[in-house]
Amino acid sequence: MKNRFLLTTCLVMASLLSFTTANAKDLRLAYDADPVTLDIHEQLSGGMLQLSHMSFDPLIRWTKDLAFENRLATSYKRLNPTTVRFNLRKGVKFHSGNPMTAADFKWTFDRLKVSPDFKGIFANFTELNVIDDHTIDLVTSGPYPLVLHTSTYIFPMDSKFYTGTDANGNDKGAIVKNGASFASTNMSGTGPFKIVSREQGVKIVFERFGDYWDKQSPGNVDRIIFTPIKDEQTRVAALLSGDVDFIAPVSPNDFGQIKAASNAELITMPGTRIITFQMNQKRKKELQDQRVRMAIVHAINNEAIVEKIMKGFATTAGQMSPAGYLGYNPKLKPRYDLKLAKQLMKDAGYEDGFSVTMMAPNNRYVNDDKIAQAVAAMLSKINIKVDLQTMPKAQYWPAFDDRAADIMMIGWHSDTEDSANFYEFLAMTPDQSTGMGVYNSGNYSSDYVDTTTLAANRETDSAKRAEMLQSIEAKIYQDAGFVPLHWQNLAWAARKGVDVDPIVNALNFPYLGDLVVQ
Amino acid sequence: MTLLTIKNLSIEFPGRHGTERAVDEVSFDLSPGEILGLVGESGAGKSTIGNGIVQLLSAPGRVSSGDIFLNNTKISTFSSKEIIKIRGSRVGFIFQDPMTSLNPLFTVENQLVETINKNLGIEDRKEASRIAIDLLDQVGIPDPEVRIKQFPHQFSGGMRQRVVIAIALAGDPELLIADEPTTALDVSVQDQILSLIRKLCRERQVGCLLVTHDMGVIASVTDRVAVMYRGKMVEIGKTAELLTSPKHEYTKSLISAVPRSSKKIERFPLVEYIETTAKGLKHIDVKTHWLGQGTRHENIQDLLEIKDLNLSFVTRDAFLKKNRKYLQATSDVNLTVKQGETFGLVGESGSGKSTIARMVAGLQKPDSGSIKFDGVELVDNPDPVAVQQARLQMQMVFQNPYSSLNSRMKVDDIIAEPIQFHRLAPAQEIRTIVGDLLDHVGLGRAAGLKYPHEFSGGQRQRISIARALASRPRLLICDEPTSALDVSVQAQILNLLKDLQDELGLTMLFISHDLPVIRQMCDRVAIMRHGRILETAESEDFFEHPQNEYSIELLGLMPRFDKIYEVEATV
Amino acid sequence: MAQFLLKRLLQVILVMFVISAFCFGIQDSLGDPTRELAAMSMSDEERENLKDTLGLNDPLLVQYGRFVGRAVQGDLGTSYFFKEPALTVILKKLPATLELAFAASIIIITISIPLGVFCAIRPRHWFAKFTMAVSVIGISIPVFLTALALIFIFSITLGWMPSFGRGEIVEVWGYWSTNFASWDGIVHIIMPAIALSSIMLPLFIRLVRAEMLEVLSSEYVKFARAKGMDSLTVYFKHALKNTMLPVITVGGVQIGIMVAYTILTESVFQWPGMGFMFLEAVNRSDIPLITAYIMFVGFLFVIVNTLVDLLYGLINPMVDLVSGK
Repeated sequence: MKNRFLLTTCLVMASLLSFTTANAKDLRLAYDADPVTLDIHEQLSGGMLQLSHMSFDPLIRWTKDLAFENRLATSYKRLNPTTVRFNLRKGVKFHSGNPMTAADFKWTFDRLKVSPDFKGIFANFTELNVIDDHTIDLVTSGPYPLVLHTSTYIFPMDSKFYTGTDANGNDKGAIVKNGASFASTNMSGTGPFKIVSREQGVKIVFERFGDYWDKQSPGNVDRIIFTPIKDEQTRVAALLSGDVDFIAPVSPNDFGQIKAASNAELITMPGTRIITFQMNQKRKKELQDQRVRMAIVHAINNEAIVEKIMKGFATTAGQMSPAGYLGYNPKLKPRYDLKLAKQLMKDAGYEDGFSVTMMAPNNRYVNDDKIAQAVAAMLSKINIKVDLQTMPKAQYWPAFDDRAADIMMIGWHSDTEDSANFYEFLAMTPDQSTGMGVYNSGNYSSDYVDTTTLAANRETDSAKRAEMLQSIEAKIYQDAGFVPLHWQNLAWAARKGVDVDPIVNALNFPYLGDLVVQ
Repeated sequence: MTLLTIKNLSIEFPGRHGTERAVDEVSFDLSPGEILGLVGESGAGKSTIGNGIVQLLSAPGRVSSGDIFLNNTKISTFSSKEIIKIRGSRVGFIFQDPMTSLNPLFTVENQLVETINKNLGIEDRKEASRIAIDLLDQVGIPDPEVRIKQFPHQFSGGMRQRVVIAIALAGDPELLIADEPTTALDVSVQDQILSLIRKLCRERQVGCLLVTHDMGVIASVTDRVAVMYRGKMVEIGKTAELLTSPKHEYTKSLISAVPRSSKKIERFPLVEYIETTAKGLKHIDVKTHWLGQGTRHENIQDLLEIKDLNLSFVTRDAFLKKNRKYLQATSDVNLTVKQGETFGLVGESGSGKSTIARMVAGLQKPDSGSIKFDGVELVDNPDPVAVQQARLQMQMVFQNPYSSLNSRMKVDDIIAEPIQFHRLAPAQEIRTIVGDLLDHVGLGRAAGLKYPHEFSGGQRQRISIARALASRPRLLICDEPTSALDVSVQAQILNLLKDLQDELGLTMLFISHDLPVIRQMCDRVAIMRHGRILETAESEDFFEHPQNEYSIELLGLMPRFDKIYEVEATV
Repeated sequence: MAQFLLKRLLQVILVMFVISAFCFGIQDSLGDPTRELAAMSMSDEERENLKDTLGLNDPLLVQYGRFVGRAVQGDLGTSYFFKEPALTVILKKLPATLELAFAASIIIITISIPLGVFCAIRPRHWFAKFTMAVSVIGISIPVFLTALALIFIFSITLGWMPSFGRGEIVEVWGYWSTNFASWDGIVHIIMPAIALSSIMLPLFIRLVRAEMLEVLSSEYVKFARAKGMDSLTVYFKHALKNTMLPVITVGGVQIGIMVAYTILTESVFQWPGMGFMFLEAVNRSDIPLITAYIMFVGFLFVIVNTLVDLLYGLINPMVDLVSGK
C-alpha cells in the first residue's frame, strides 16, 4: 500500500518534471513594472532600455566590464575630431521582414533628435550622414568625447514599418506621450525577441525572432513570458514557488530567503546610481560655510548606513563617479570622523548647532526613508536638529523642484555612463538658459567645476579627459559640495539552471538574447 | 374533573449571586372552561408559572420541585421532545404584545398553516388553509380569505392579537395560557379581545390561565383569581369574593392602589406594602425654602391658553406636493389650563394628546395656531428671551423613566443641571437644594450619589420629578407618567404629584390613556380622538354625565370593579 | 419605484460631481505626472511643453470645466500610463476585481452564516467559544499578512498554489474575462479570495451571531416555540430570515466596500484588478485614472446601496419601495 502510494507520487512528480522540461526554453520573467509603451523613443527610462535590448539592437553596447562591443556596427573609426564612421552589419532583418539599411539609422537619428526625452543626449550631434547602404557618419558640433557612449542609444527602428499613416490618419512615426500612437502599440526592431501579445500591466509574451542575425549567440530562450509583479515580496515568492524563472529587482530584505532556497540563485553587482544629499546654500546661510558642509559630510557614517540599512547591498561612496568611470578618483575616500566634524562645527561658530529641514522620498530609492532617518539621527550628534519629512515620489519631485527643504535627497544615474553627466546635472551652477545644474538643489557653485566640465565635454583625448574629470571630483570633494552616501548595487535572482550571471551588467540591461536556460 | 393541576411548584433561576426562587411552592388547579386569573406586580412570578408549564423558561430557569398534571398526565417530567408535542396542540399560548409575537417576514397564512400542519397533522396545504381561514373567521377577522395573505404589519394591534389567538387555538388545545394578552392594547380593543377569549373558552370548554397585572381585567373576565406576591401565592378564590373582601394584607393593599373609576378619592391608602420610601427624610417648609421662592403670579387666571393649534406629519413623501399624504396629528385644538388646576388630556394611542404636550414644551413646532403661557406667545415669538423665560417655568415628566434620564450622569448632577444652567441658585447652595429635592420626592439625599440604573422604575420616576422641580416650574406636563409602572408604585407616584401640587400650587397638564387615573388626578378633562378635542368638561361631570358619543363608549368599555357582577350575570 | 430610482440617479450625479471636484481640488498634491512620463534628465523647457500638451498649465477651473464638459459625454480623460480612455481601462480591470470580490463574498457567506448561527444557538459549546476567540484575533490581522502567510505556506513551502496573477482567463460574452471557466483560473483565485475574505469574515460571523441572538430572544421566536414548532423550524425558518435582514443591509454595504478595498490584496497577489491599478496610478501620478477610479467607486457604492435596498425590500414585506415609503 505504502509502496504503491510512493510509486504514484513518483509518477506524478516525473510527469510534472517532464512537463517542465518540455517548456524549458520558456523564460518566465518578472520585473517590477512593464514598459509603458512600445515606442522606445517615447521615454528615457531603465524599463524602456531593457525593452530596447530585448527587441532592438544598438550600434554598439556595453560589456559587463564597461567596454564597448559591436552589435549592428561591425567597425568604427574617428575620421576627424567631429566625425565618426560606422560600418554596418549586413543581412540584418527587422521583425517585419524588411532588411536593415543605413536609411533606417538616418530615420532613427532624426527621430531621436526630436524626442523630448532623448534630444538632450543627442544635443551635441548635428547629423547622421548616409554614406552607402551599410556605412554611416555621425557628426558632432564640436570635438565630442562621448560619441561611442551615445551610440549605445541608437537602436535602429524599421523606417518602412513606421512610415505612413495609421487607420486614424495619424503619422505612424509620431512620438506621442499623451495617449496611444502607432509606434506605442506596434513594434518592429532587429532584436532577438518580438512581441506576440501584450496586455498592459498584466503580461507580455515575446517569441524569439527566427531571422535574428546573431547566430553566434548562445541564447536558447524561445519564449519570454514577462509579468510585472509590483510587490517585492510577491516577486520573490513567485520565484521561490517556481511560478517564475527570473526576477528583478530584488530587495536586500529578501536576500536571506533567496540564498537559503535550494532552487534559486542571487546575483548582485555594484551599480552606478549614486545616492546623495544636497545642502541648500541659498535657503540656509549656515550651509554657505564650507566648514559646516564639511562637518556634515564627516558626521555622516555612510559605512554604517551601507552595512546596517542596505545590508551590505551598496558601495560606500566618497564621490559621484563609480569605479570604472573616467572621473573616478581613487584618492577620494569616504570620510566619517565625528570628532573632526564637531571640531569643524566649533571652528565655524556653530558649536551649539542649528536646525534644518530635510526631505527625502520614501518609495524611490532602496530604503530611502530609512537612510534619511539615519542621517537625521547622525546630524543630531553635531547638534544639527533635523526636521525630516519623507513622502512618496509623486509628491517628492514637485517639492524637489521647489527646493522645499534645506537638505534634500537625490539619486542619479548617468545616462551616458560618463562622469560629466553627474556634474552637468548635480554640480554645475544652476542656469535656466543652458539647462545646467537642473538637479543641483544645493546651489553649489564653482567656476572651476563649471568651466572644466564644459572643457571636458570637448576633449576627445581620453587620458587628458580623465585627468580633468578627476580634478573636478577632487574640487567638489574639497568644497564638500554635497554628501555622498553610496552607489546602489543591483540584484537579480533566478531559478537554478537559468544562467543569468553572464548576461547581467551594471547598467541593468540584461542581454536576454544571450541567456542560456538549462 | 380538573384540567390542570399544579402541586407545590417551585421554579428557580440559578445565577452568579445565588439562586433566585421565582416561584415558591405554588399549588392550584383549573377546570375546563374556567378562566383563572393570575395577578400580581412585576417580579411576582406570575408569567414564570405560565412559561414553566410548557418548559419555555428562559435559560437558566428550571422547575426545581413540584408536579404539573395536564388531564392527569404528569407533564413536568416530560423530555423536550415530548413537550414539543404538547405545545400548540394541547396548550395554546397568547403573549402580551401582538406587535412582536408574529414573525414580521411571513404571511399570516404561512404562520397559521405551519401551526395547523404540526398540531393537527394536516399535511395538505389547501386543507390547512381552509381551516386557517375558518379560524380567522371565528376570531372575528373580516374578509379572512383576503387578509390571510397579508403580512402582520398590515394588521392593527387588535387584529393582530386576534391572529395570535387564532394561532393559539389552531391546535385545538385544552388549555390556553394568556400572558398579559391586552396590556399593549387600547381600552376599546382590550374589551373586544377579553370578550373573545371569554367566549371561545366557554364555547370550546378550554381552560384558561390569564396572567395579568391589571385588576380591571381580572374583575371583568376571570372566574377565579390567584394573587401572587414575590413568588408565593398569597390568596386564591372566586373573583367576586376576593375583590370585595380580600383576606391577605397584600391583596388589600393592591386593591386599594387601583385607581377607581367610580369615585374620586383624595389619596391612595395603604400603598407602601411593596416599595417603602426612604427613612429619615428632612422635611422642608416650602413657604421658606428655595423651592417655594420661584416666580409667582397669583392673580393670573389662565396659565396656558391654546388656540387653533394645528400640526400634520407627512406620512408619504413625494416629489410632487399633491402626491404627498399627511396625518393630521392635531387639528384646531383649543384649550385653557387654569392656574393651580390639573387638566387631563385623555384619548387612545394616536389621538394626538402627546403631540400637544410636545408642542407646549417646544419639542415640536406647530403648523399654525397659538400657545400662550402666562400671556407670553410661544409660537413664532420674535423675542426668544421671553420664550425661554416662559419655557423655564414649564417642565415635563415623561412616560418612560428608563430612557428619559442620562444613564452616564449621577442623580445629583442630573438634578443640579437645570439649576446651574439657568443660574437659579448660588453655586454653593446647589448641593443642599438638590439634597432637599431628593428628600422631598421621597428618595433621600443619599440617592444623589448613584446612577439612574441603580433604581427601580418608580424611583426613577421620582428622580424625573425632582429634576422637573429643580427649575421651580409653574406648569408640570406629565405625559403618561405612570403607565410603565406597577399599580402600587403608580399609586405612590400619583400621591406624590398630588402632594407637590398642594404644596407648591403647581399647575398640571396630565396626559393619560387610563381613565381611572384621570379621574383620580384631574379637575378638568378634555377627551381627544384623531387629533381633535371632542369634549372638555369638569372631571366629575365627564365621568358621571359624558356628553359625547365617543366618551360614553369609552367610559362603558373601561374595565372596573363594579363590572364583576355584570359578567357573572351573562354567564 | 420610478421615484426611488430617480432619487438614486440624482444621488449618483451629485456624488460624481462632489468627487470630481474633490479630485481636482487635491490634484496638486497628487504629484507631477511628467516625472513618470519623462526622463529625469529632460530639460525644463521640454517638461513645460509636455505639461502644456497635457493641459496641466491651465488654471484649475479651466481644467475642471474641460473635464466636466468631456465627462458629460462619457469621457473621463485618458490614462497617462495605459494610453487609453480611463473608463476603458477601469472597465477592463473590473471583471478581475468583481470576480475576486464575488469569490470572497461566497467564502464569507458560506462560512459566516453557519458559524454565526451555530455560535448563537450553542453559545456555550467549545467550538462556539473557539470561533469567537479566533474571530477577535482575525479582525486584527492585516490582510497583507494573511496574504503573505498564504503564499509562504501554500506556494513556497508546499508548492500547491500559484503565488500570483489570475492564471488562465477566458473571455466570455465578448468582453468579460473570467477566472471561473478554467481549472487554472479557479486555482488562481482561491488564495486572493481567502485573503480578501479574511478581513470581513470575522466581522460577518460576529454580525450574524449578534443578530441571530437578538432574534432568538424576540417574542415571535418564543411564540413560535410556544405554538409547538421544533427547534429546526424555529432556527432556520423563523430566526434565520429575520437575522438576514440586518445582515443584508450591513453586509451588502460591506461587500460594496470590499470592492474598493481590494487594493492591498490585489497588490500582494499581483491581481490585475481595479484596486491594484489604482495603487499604481497613485504611484505614477496618473491623475485622469485616479479621478476616474474614485468616481467609479463612488458610482459603485451608490449602485451597491441601491441593490441592497432593493434586496431588502424584496425580503422585508414592511418596506414598500413601490409606494416610496
